[in-house]
Amino acid sequence: MPRVERPATAEDCAALLRACAADGQTVRVRGGGTKDHLGRLYLTAVTLETARLAGIVDHVPEDLTVTVRAGTTLRAVRDALAAHGQFLPIDAPHVGRGATIGGVIAADSNGFGRYRYGSVRDLLLGVRAALPDGTIARSGGRVVKNVAGYDLDKLFIGSLGTLGVVVEATFKILPVPPVARAATATFATPGGAFGAADTLVRTSLRPTAVVVARTDESGWRLVIAAAGEAAPVERALAELTRVAATRDATATAAGDVEAELGPLRELVDAAETGAVVRAALPLSAQTAFAETALHLDRSARVVADAASGIVLVHLRDDAGLPAAADALLANARVLGGSARIERAAVPGLDPFGGPEPAGAFLMRRLKDAFDPSGILEPARSAVG
Amino acid sequence: MTVAPAVVRAGLRGAELAASLRELLGDEKVLWAREDLLLYEYDGAVDTATPDAVVLPNETADVAKLARFCAEHGVPLVPRGAGTGLSGGAIPVEGGVVISFARMSRILELDVPNLRAVVQPGLVNLHLSTAAAPHGLYFAPDPSSQKACTLGGNVAENSGGPHTLAYGVTTNHVTGLELVLSDGTVVRLGGKSIESPGYDLVGTFVGSEGTLGIVTEITVKLIPLPEDKRTLMAAFPTMDDASNTVSAIIGAGIVPSAIEMMDQLSIQAVEASVGAGYPLDAGGILLVEVDGVRDGLDDLLERIEAICRASHAQELRVAATALERDKLWAGRKGAFAAMGRLASDYYVQDGVIPRTKLPQVLRHVVDVGERYGLRIANVFHAGDGNLHPLIMFDGSKGPAEVERVKEAGREILEMCIDVGGSITGEHGVGMEKNCYMPLQYSPVDLAVMRRVKDAFDPLGLANPGKMFPTPGKCKEFSLNAAR
Repeated sequence: MPRVERPATAEDCAALLRACAADGQTVRVRGGGTKDHLGRLYLTAVTLETARLAGIVDHVPEDLTVTVRAGTTLRAVRDALAAHGQFLPIDAPHVGRGATIGGVIAADSNGFGRYRYGSVRDLLLGVRAALPDGTIARSGGRVVKNVAGYDLDKLFIGSLGTLGVVVEATFKILPVPPVARAATATFATPGGAFGAADTLVRTSLRPTAVVVARTDESGWRLVIAAAGEAAPVERALAELTRVAATRDATATAAGDVEAELGPLRELVDAAETGAVVRAALPLSAQTAFAETALHLDRSARVVADAASGIVLVHLRDDAGLPAAADALLANARVLGGSARIERAAVPGLDPFGGPEPAGAFLMRRLKDAFDPSGILEPARSAVG
Repeated sequence: MTVAPAVVRAGLRGAELAASLRELLGDEKVLWAREDLLLYEYDGAVDTATPDAVVLPNETADVAKLARFCAEHGVPLVPRGAGTGLSGGAIPVEGGVVISFARMSRILELDVPNLRAVVQPGLVNLHLSTAAAPHGLYFAPDPSSQKACTLGGNVAENSGGPHTLAYGVTTNHVTGLELVLSDGTVVRLGGKSIESPGYDLVGTFVGSEGTLGIVTEITVKLIPLPEDKRTLMAAFPTMDDASNTVSAIIGAGIVPSAIEMMDQLSIQAVEASVGAGYPLDAGGILLVEVDGVRDGLDDLLERIEAICRASHAQELRVAATALERDKLWAGRKGAFAAMGRLASDYYVQDGVIPRTKLPQVLRHVVDVGERYGLRIANVFHAGDGNLHPLIMFDGSKGPAEVERVKEAGREILEMCIDVGGSITGEHGVGMEKNCYMPLQYSPVDLAVMRRVKDAFDPLGLANPGKMFPTPGKCKEFSLNAAR
């Protein structure tokens, strides 16, 4: 079993990393432990838990920014901001299980709101990170615009803890919109649902969610959520009704936005069998990808952020699994995108199967520059 | 104006370099005559330096060939778009080759189904939005120089513009890049998808000011044109009133697509040159724009007007037609050029502060102007807290005057840092503010950035002398002076 360490300060965190680097002890960074299924997992000597690196450092409501320690749970951030009528517009999954800010950054964990509000990379203004050489580096800042120096924040986002340990982060936040509503329509084919979604994405409605989901045999559901002033929200839902009608579908107003979107957001957590493939695709490739998924596994569940081209497929047929997952990864590449296996109940699947990403040699140089002794999550990221 | 101190490192230079490049690439791709080179020794900022040669590539292969040659012969590579940059990014401070992308200016693909465009770096920013408009789409970042500045320059500087308040800066709109590294390696990063596997090299590269490599192709997002807009000009007796209005609008939960501010000096300059119709007696004005679907826009506008009135607005004017809107914006976008009416030269700063510090910092700017006896105009992105103090001076008074102006600029930037801000929000560090980097970042922070530089450009030939403090020039700013 790995030795568990829980540094309480950024300095302790940096000192711990330096000691581990000196001893050649490998380290996994862990926040709420909600993403233990991600990447190529490797049994490290040490687990560095960020639980004690928690708390809000600074929140200036009038400036719409918040600075928090990495181990702070997303839920705690939400509660603190809600008291001021504000929110962090990242509706990431796993919040109920304790997802932390650090984990959201390391896994580039986004929700359906990214089309409207941007993803982690659009909302993160600055980080402090402890590096394996024991230093603590800062990049970005606490203001909403800053182009001084390299944008190191971007390197840490999605790096799965392989470059350093983010100890503190500053985000843009927003006022809670006065009205939020959702509506759904069900289509017979993926083309119908994705086509309707595409029509809505090409307007200035700016919905807060455009989700296509197939969770059972009943068809392809399109869920639209909108937030803001009452009039534009009404308009967005009216547009769904109009667009659905042109495709022989009927739109229904949903009672509660979260009741509609919440379960779809947690598809990965709900997948206790089979494997979940996550693809990032050019928008127009989503229909073809969804059709391929169904062709490979008639029982597959599909949940897509159709405004962003992020498609999650839960392959539920264990028997066909290694082959079906590989075929789906290959299909994403053929369609001009990429895919990874997000979670698998069966062993032996390479989450990043297929050729290395473009620029892998540069990524390796960066890994060597940040973590020369290679102690941080060896092998976990797409380039090892 | 000022000739930057020459830094000479070993390598091929001068006539011999130009002759070799002509042989390598052909005469039609190389400029070497003295009178041709003069056109490439300046950009939109105040420093100058003459390149040894200028290369005009037709395609990526030319750039790769050039970079391989330069790597072999120790020649710095300085990419240049339209030369509108405001931090000296395109100035060959250590000599070498300036690469002009004037001939790589095409839209390679307008991919309407995927809401993407693939373009060459020399494409003019506004030309992309013009080409996308028939499809109901546009490219959101809109620097004031958008009629001239190029996408390659926008990527290098991570450019912003008035509408970045709601729509983000360049980095939020780039999904793919093709680069030529300083050793001649061609690498394609990202693509049309919103994310790609591995580290976010696209995000790391945007805003790197040519110091990590040379962009030869860019994939950007196109977004739907808003169905409608409302543009309001609000005039206030004082800058404090205007500043407080900005915080009040945001505090009311409204995030307009743009909130721009201009002070009295700017209004005078703009009215003399563009005639945008701003009231000459106002202490400061705001341009506020909201956009999106038509529904509810008028209500939103009314709420903003009420906030302005509560903050002592003396005049409110809503653009009734597209023509009136364009006129209001022409004043803002033509403001820098209009300064020519007031002084022969200006030096523009680009510091960012938390919005709530606007009144305090603007008063400090006035104080700096008085102490130095310099006129300073303010035209800026108030919603983002991104200041643009324009310090006016007469360059013919010589280098000592320029140094005094830079001193005044530095005092303003120090204040920005003191209140928790940044030395630059969209213009870049370049060779103009590289000595000020230690104001914002510790030696450790800078050393980590240096690791990134070395990973991309181990030879140190990609736009040298930029962004990082250089020992020769930055003596007075001890690296240890930083927090």
